[in-house]
Amino acid sequence: MDTRELLTQLEKLEYGLDSFSFTELKSSEASRLKKSFESFKIGLEEKVFGMPTGTVESENAAEDYDQVATESKLVANVSHEIRTPLNGIIGFLDLLKETPLSPHQNELVNAMDGASKNLLGLINQLLEFSSLASGQEKFERVPFNPGNLINEVAFLCKTLINGKSVTLLVNYDERIPKSLLGDPSKLSQVLLNLIGNAVKFVEEGEIKLEVNLKEEKSKRLFLEFIISDTGVGIANENLKHIFKSYKQAEPSTKLKYGGSGLGLSIVKEIIEKQQGCIAVSSTLGIGTTFKVVLPFEKVASVPEPSVLKDLEEDFDISQKAILVFEDDALTQRLMQNRLEQWGCKPYIAENEVYGLQLLKNHNIDLVLLDMHLPGSNGLEIVKRIRKHKEYANLPIIMLSGDAYSHKEDIFHDLGINDFILKPYNSDELREKIYANSQHVDRDDGHTASKNEHSAARTKPIDLDPLLQECLGKTELLDELVRLFEQNILEFIGKTKMYLQSGNLQGVGFAAHKIKSCLKMLHANRLIGICEAMILECRTTNDVEHLKGLFEDFVSEYPKIEKAMEEEIRRIKNEL
Amino acid sequence: MDKRKLLLAEDDQMLASLLKYRLERDGYEVVIEFDGKSVKENLEVAIPDIVISDIMMPYFSGIELVDYVRNQLNSDVPIILISAASNDENIVSAFEMGANDFIAKPVSPSELMVRVSREIKRHYCT
Repeated sequence: MDTRELLTQLEKLEYGLDSFSFTELKSSEASRLKKSFESFKIGLEEKVFGMPTGTVESENAAEDYDQVATESKLVANVSHEIRTPLNGIIGFLDLLKETPLSPHQNELVNAMDGASKNLLGLINQLLEFSSLASGQEKFERVPFNPGNLINEVAFLCKTLINGKSVTLLVNYDERIPKSLLGDPSKLSQVLLNLIGNAVKFVEEGEIKLEVNLKEEKSKRLFLEFIISDTGVGIANENLKHIFKSYKQAEPSTKLKYGGSGLGLSIVKEIIEKQQGCIAVSSTLGIGTTFKVVLPFEKVASVPEPSVLKDLEEDFDISQKAILVFEDDALTQRLMQNRLEQWGCKPYIAENEVYGLQLLKNHNIDLVLLDMHLPGSNGLEIVKRIRKHKEYANLPIIMLSGDAYSHKEDIFHDLGINDFILKPYNSDELREKIYANSQHVDRDDGHTASKNEHSAARTKPIDLDPLLQECLGKTELLDELVRLFEQNILEFIGKTKMYLQSGNLQGVGFAAHKIKSCLKMLHANRLIGICEAMILECRTTNDVEHLKGLFEDFVSEYPKIEKAMEEEIRRIKNEL
Repeated sequence: MDKRKLLLAEDDQMLASLLKYRLERDGYEVVIEFDGKSVKENLEVAIPDIVISDIMMPYFSGIELVDYVRNQLNSDVPIILISAASNDENIVSAFEMGANDFIAKPVSPSELMVRVSREIKRHYCT
């Protein structure tokens, strides 16, 4: 691998450090930073190479690396030891950022920060590899929706393709159940790695992801994933090496395509640790096909609200009065916007006392409650509400970030009707509100008109105003929509990068830019998310929350894209 | 009469395409630049009849552009800025620097057409 890559990062850091004017700064953090950095570098050289960096030459080194690779324990130890001083560097950089800096210094510090975080990423990857190799890795066993996961993966891969004329086709076997037990994050890691590789090696053509239900046994079920591309292909003699750690098919590949060369060996490890298997076949100049088979467990049949999923209008929750316990101003706004978009009447309470008052004075249909309200525990509020006989049947939905807190038996005992795991997307919220508010439906007299009303309100985009500005010229509208799609992909790519490196200013700027495009299309839901992101960047700087919002954005966007196609088709038909 | 020459500095290609279409249809000769550096280079070669610039531009903001045109190039060419409505302070300092007009995002092209022709009339026809 890539000690060379590590070294490049290191050199970048060093360069940043050299051109940084410490005399001007005269801060104690600065000198400590430099010391920490130097000891880190010396430590790294000694531990990994056992000799000064300058003399490492490719051939001997390659053998050395292989030796290191096989001793995964050593790698793990070394990585840990590298991580400690590196975390120190990152910490001091943070401190340094808080001191007054000139714009130029600021730029340099940011560059160093970026390089350090890159390096940390590489080291984490190494650690992950070594912990897999030594069998420490734990796999999750949680329910997930494989269809949604594939959609998400496909969407992310589309953003990777940006700029090349490559199409990604997905063929999904509809017989696959809506819910499975397994490790969804590891599955998406595998698929992202394999498709990501394909994207790297295909200049023009097509990548296909096929997901099949291969075999069904009593409790287990095997899914087959076939990733094929029309890329450069891999020569036979190199094919057998590609799953070996630290090796890419050809030494020259690295120069062109980069990458740490760890991806495929990690993929193989992950698959085999789950009793799955992976195979590859390839023809030079024609393309490469990876086949993965992975076992999953079936979930004992759950009452399936997801059958209704296709019928959006069926989730009519307009006119519902909903009480939201939420103390975070931003989430309050987001929640209010969402609920209003769906035609609900939201009542927002910052604290328990005010909430109970609202409950008394208004005819509330449903309560949304955050588990972790500062001051009072969400569960306490539930208890207090249930004390009153008239609220015995009031539906209460709990929101929580803790995946393990929603053991069904527990929350039923506590008087909670349902549970939403954060970060959640708006569809999920809507479905849960719908599912839980049915039995308290008071009047059915106006449902028809209500339906129409909510359909108009939740229309994801409106191209008519833009068409007017285009003076009715549909080709121009078409072109603008294509440009918009590019803008969105660029936004998603950039924001992902900024979020990873913690550059919130960058996130704010990107969100700001995309907002005006969204406004041209009247994409109201996305505008709401975007505004929340901008506000977050200006105020609390909560990266985790920002990531949640961004995920909402990413999962919401495919709907917008679909709606745009439909609108354009409609407009063209009308002419 | 020759066509009026218009320089449009806008890094969002979508908005730029829409505005270009509308402006050309109204008889302007439109040059688009997507970043501040190229805007500057373009102005150094020749000053157009009117400049429209987004305030938030890579490398060279709209405000810096106004300053550059007024104080370095010593030109009084009409400048209309496009700004996100929330940047009140920016707008004030842009006017102080000598911007002629501004339009808030999201830009209504029809409104911009009116503002452009008004600036042209004010500047060249009185």
